[in-house]
Amino acid sequence: MPFLQRTLPLILAFVAGIVGILTFYIPAASGIETEGATWYRIIFAFSMILGIHSLLSMHWRRIRRRQAGWGYSAVTWFGFLAMFIFGVWNNSHGPGAPIDLQGGGMVWLYDHIQVPAGATMFSLLAFFIASAAYRTFRARTPEAAILLVAAVVVMLGRVPIGVYLSEHVPTLSQWLMATPNMAARRGILIGVTLGAIATSLRIIFGIERAYLGEESEDV
Amino acid sequence: MANLTNIDRRWIFLAVFISVLVPLLVGFHLPVKASPNVRAIYTSIDALDAKAGDTVLMSFDFGPSTLTELQPMAKAVLRHCFRKKLKVVGVTLLPEGVGIAETILSDVAAEFGATYGEDYIFLGYKAGNEVLILNMGEELRAAFSTDVRGTPLDDLTVTRPLRSLGDMAYVLDISAGYPGVEEWIQYGQERYRFKLGAGCTAVMAPDFFPFLQSGQLDGLLGGLAGAAEYETLIGQPDAAVSGMRPQSVGHVVIILFILFGNVAYFASRRGGGS
Amino acid sequence: MNRDRLVFLVVVGLFAAVNLGLFLSGRLPANAEGVGILLAAGVSLALYSFLYKDNPLFKLAEHLYVGVVAAYELGQVWFQNMLPDVLPRGAAIYEAVRHPIDVGWALLGDPRQIVTIGIQVVPVILGLFLMTRLTGRSVWLSRISFAFIVGLGAGLVIPRRISAYVLDQLGPTIQPLWTEAGFAFSPFLILLGVVSVLIYFSFSFEHTGAVGAVSRVGIWFLMVSFGASFGYTVMARLSLLIGQLTFLLEKWLTLNLPLW
Repeated sequence: MPFLQRTLPLILAFVAGIVGILTFYIPAASGIETEGATWYRIIFAFSMILGIHSLLSMHWRRIRRRQAGWGYSAVTWFGFLAMFIFGVWNNSHGPGAPIDLQGGGMVWLYDHIQVPAGATMFSLLAFFIASAAYRTFRARTPEAAILLVAAVVVMLGRVPIGVYLSEHVPTLSQWLMATPNMAARRGILIGVTLGAIATSLRIIFGIERAYLGEESEDV
Repeated sequence: MANLTNIDRRWIFLAVFISVLVPLLVGFHLPVKASPNVRAIYTSIDALDAKAGDTVLMSFDFGPSTLTELQPMAKAVLRHCFRKKLKVVGVTLLPEGVGIAETILSDVAAEFGATYGEDYIFLGYKAGNEVLILNMGEELRAAFSTDVRGTPLDDLTVTRPLRSLGDMAYVLDISAGYPGVEEWIQYGQERYRFKLGAGCTAVMAPDFFPFLQSGQLDGLLGGLAGAAEYETLIGQPDAAVSGMRPQSVGHVVIILFILFGNVAYFASRRGGGS
Repeated sequence: MNRDRLVFLVVVGLFAAVNLGLFLSGRLPANAEGVGILLAAGVSLALYSFLYKDNPLFKLAEHLYVGVVAAYELGQVWFQNMLPDVLPRGAAIYEAVRHPIDVGWALLGDPRQIVTIGIQVVPVILGLFLMTRLTGRSVWLSRISFAFIVGLGAGLVIPRRISAYVLDQLGPTIQPLWTEAGFAFSPFLILLGVVSVLIYFSFSFEHTGAVGAVSRVGIWFLMVSFGASFGYTVMARLSLLIGQLTFLLEKWLTLNLPLW
């Protein structure tokens, strides 16, 4: 069984990886590339179910064991079931028909819980960034001073009020972004890319095996 | 002075709240001038020819958490497209983007009397992230055999003549992270060399300047300010332009906080030293 | 009664009173849309209450959001992936299993159909292998599926990143430094910035002497970049706050906000 459980996946990862690389350089193999991509998407869809299951089972365990905060887990399940039921109903078309985005409970819950809650969660960060900036943003060193000056110039240059201070502020801000910022980003981009390529090669050649999971899962 | 740096953070929260609330309630005019990166997208879309059947693909790769920044720019560009009677194909790489994209497309289409199927369509979402772009690149129907409503692509006027991404006159990706602009560059623009414009949250905008300079990106709409500039260019100020008032005041307040914090810090160090 | 409980009661009471006023005055319609706006405002304000202190209202709204999002994503996976792409293939597999003799005869007549059938069937089988993680039995089968996804993903990335992120980036970096107009400062700055940042991130050699000096220049470029990032991040976060406040003022409290 070790061959099926550990060696076969490594061989498969190698073959899939080589196919992924070669199809880029062989135009005649575009059909293989398209089909491989379709397979990827189908398997990926199944993997999303795993993620959702993991979340829900964690909350279910909390409810069953009456752990601290289990009431909130019940609220999570309530929200899930409400949206799930509306999803199955699909505005009276049922789960076998294409999704109805024109109305219905699923759209109502999306518009009135998911959208405002999601937007609010991230908007909280505006307060925390202001508080953090006030307490910790200090020009203690020349490098920190460069950071501070760049931040102030960009913050003034990107909003209309900057023009009232000086007509050169927006121009300076644009130059800062397009030249020194761009150069630094490009350096980071190239460096990160070389690292990503090294990691991808490690996966393809079986050196990196974290995705295989624990050996305790071997039966 | 040292005590001022340890102020209860809820006072800072209150100051930020007031600095955003007051300019929302009080109207005053701030001129918005388009930057070169935004103007590039406007010029490219303006140059498209509806009579030649030019089609714009818009990828709404964002969810509710970044709606405020990205919805205004999506609406502004859509208004430009519909005003020029260009055909529009919508798609999203994120499951939470489906409802948002559908709402934006139908709301703006209603403003211009655009008809679904004839003037615009929405493909919907498929799992796979960047691999979906790969599928669409070679053969659109390998990724989407139907639109989001279940209609075969060959039955829709907009998509009947389209075979792959290479048939798009312009692609605009509006994204909040992954999957997004970088994936469209790597898996789409890199091979099919279509004109790719990007809209993104302000957090991500600095990352994309290398692609602007290399020409891989045609233009960039960065955050709410980018949206305000595009609204100004199309002559239809909306949520983004009105958002520039609280944005400006908020920025000034935060800058003052930073400067004051530094003054207090250095003053307390000097006081402690002497 | 402690202060926090008092604040909680005052806030909830105020929220209820405001909504009652909005519904009674007709500013909020007494239908699904009006109730929806009330719910959206309630969820938003409950989440904002975290700014005062972590509290049960915030946790309630947060957990409700998590549950709703999970089901919505499941719905999108079903309607846009399973229904159009997986179920038809699954139905074909089911039919083949029900009528194995018919399938066998067809394959004998045209063996090439094995490839066609395989292309349809294999991704669904690999997807079902992933589901063994739910059952806890034969979990090792899921490794085959993960190996395919991870391996193919890694293979697709390599040539595309080399092309888009290295080759297409190097060209614009190396521009002529001397033109008819004289010394080209911007191209020089770009070249200096890219090289110095790459040297800063190279840890295979010590950053001393000339290398240390160039590395220091790289740090300065990085500081400008991080400062720009900070400025843009502040802009992004404030924009999100502006949007939510606009919703609360325009849609919930039905105020007419000036455009400019």
